Amino acid sequence: MPIVETENLTHIFPDGTIAIQDISLKINKGEFVVIAGANGSGKTVFARHLNGLLKPTKGSVLIDGKPITENIIEARRKVGLVFQNPDSQIVGQTVAEDVAFGPENLNLPANQVKAVVKESLEAVGLSRFSTRSPHTLSGGEKRKLAIAGILAMKPKVIIFDEPFTGLDYPGVVQVLKQIVKLHNMGHTILLITHELEKVLAHADRLVIMHKGKLVEDGKPEDVIYHSENYGVRMPLNDGQKVATLTWLK
Amino acid sequence: MAEITFFHYIHKDTVLHRMDGRLKLICLLLLSLSASFASKLEHYLVLLFVVIFALLIAKLPIKALLKDIKFFGIIILIVIVVDAFNIPGDPIPYFPVTSISTKGLITGLRFAGRLTIIILVCAVITGTTSLMTLRNVVEWFLRPIPFVPEVRIATMISLTFTLIPVIFDNLAEMMYAQKARCVELRKNPIERINFIVFPLLSQTLRKADEIVYAMEARCYSEVRTRAVFKTNKIDWLLLAICISVFLFVIL
Ligand SMILES: Nc1ncnc2c1ncn2[C@@H]1O[C@H](COP(=O)(O)OP(=O)(O)OP(=O)(O)O)[C@@H](O)[C@H]1O
Ligand SMILES: [Mg+2]
Repeated sequence: MPIVETENLTHIFPDGTIAIQDISLKINKGEFVVIAGANGSGKTVFARHLNGLLKPTKGSVLIDGKPITENIIEARRKVGLVFQNPDSQIVGQTVAEDVAFGPENLNLPANQVKAVVKESLEAVGLSRFSTRSPHTLSGGEKRKLAIAGILAMKPKVIIFDEPFTGLDYPGVVQVLKQIVKLHNMGHTILLITHELEKVLAHADRLVIMHKGKLVEDGKPEDVIYHSENYGVRMPLNDGQKVATLTWLK
Repeated sequence: MAEITFFHYIHKDTVLHRMDGRLKLICLLLLSLSASFASKLEHYLVLLFVVIFALLIAKLPIKALLKDIKFFGIIILIVIVVDAFNIPGDPIPYFPVTSISTKGLITGLRFAGRLTIIILVCAVITGTTSLMTLRNVVEWFLRPIPFVPEVRIATMISLTFTLIPVIFDNLAEMMYAQKARCVELRKNPIERINFIVFPLLSQTLRKADEIVYAMEARCYSEVRTRAVFKTNKIDWLLLAICISVFLFVIL
């Protein structure tokens, strides 16, 4: 049974914009899926459906085979979403407070909240910043903080919406390492990006969206050659292998 | 953000930082009340002693605080001067300016003393208490009051404090970006305000929207883990000191 499944998912905004149209996708447990597409192709809107932030105009989302509408809080726990802009995800005045926000919402006992915050900060290597104000962190650290905030909810699936925007080379490497580590620990990863050269080597699957529709879905080495038809740069040179598409050494 | 140390939380590990926020808030109340009721010189001296003692054990950067307090110094000076000239009474003996009355000067000094002590007490409390603690304390005090949604109020308080620096950064950036496109050449100030206010407002609203989504994605709920307050003997001792000071002043 797929862990996340969408059936004919369509979202039309009140102003008539068709943001996504008839998207049917099955994601299996433990997969690492990269979703690529040009600006405005509907990636963010799609991601926001997967944990129920947006309600479909048509179609449905199933998590572990159950419709998301059945228990939305459970769905949000299982599917964590790291936002495109980490600033909008920060609600605490210190790093530790911000990570505690999720578990406090779940009404966990205070000592358990403390433990899970500690664990999450350790997992992303931000323990030494726990009393710092989040706004004083660097771009890469902010992204890691956003990840820690999601980890504290113990999700099974983690969606990263453009995790590399605005990061320099070491920043990308830091965040990418973190994502690969989470995948190795057994999380199902959905990564939205159009910078395939940075991560594709780690993916099991490449999905391409174009003007709100799902146009390609398959093994990276099969799909990648079509990417330029849909406004996503094809990063391979002649004879280069997909396995070389990573910024990790 | 501007580099002001005054009224900002400064993270240290001291008795005052660790003190139970609820008791700390009561101490703040007691000391401010004492300062307002203080009438004799020894009252002021005791209060001043307590505050300086607190500043020292909180390990707050006193030099930086004194630099920032200059602004309040001007206000305090104005208070003294205005009182000294305006309150009728006998002129000060052997003092060349006869329009200053002894009574006026004393009233002025008394008022200035109160103000200084209250400002310093607030500096100690805000310097040693994180906003999160303050928020939790407010929530705790509001809890027994019926029909007051204490969790919502507390969340609003902390979101406000989170958003303020973001909005100011945003504003500064917008002003630079507009300067880079020579907004100064427009002489009509109303037009220029329009270029700032409307984009800032719409951006802030959009940001607020994003934050709401982000909070929902992390299952925001008003039935949430409650803060645990821990009170130890030292906290009670500090409260006892504040109560005795208060009693000393009003009796
Ligand atoms: N609140 C909204 N109201 C109307 N239209 C919207 C709204 N939000 C998004 N859209 C539209 O939906 C479409 C898909 O937007 P989406 O944000 O999902 O794109 P994206 O693929 O994430 O792009 P990017 O790479 O720029 O992040 C766009 O055409 C966008 O203009
Ligand atoms: Mg997007």
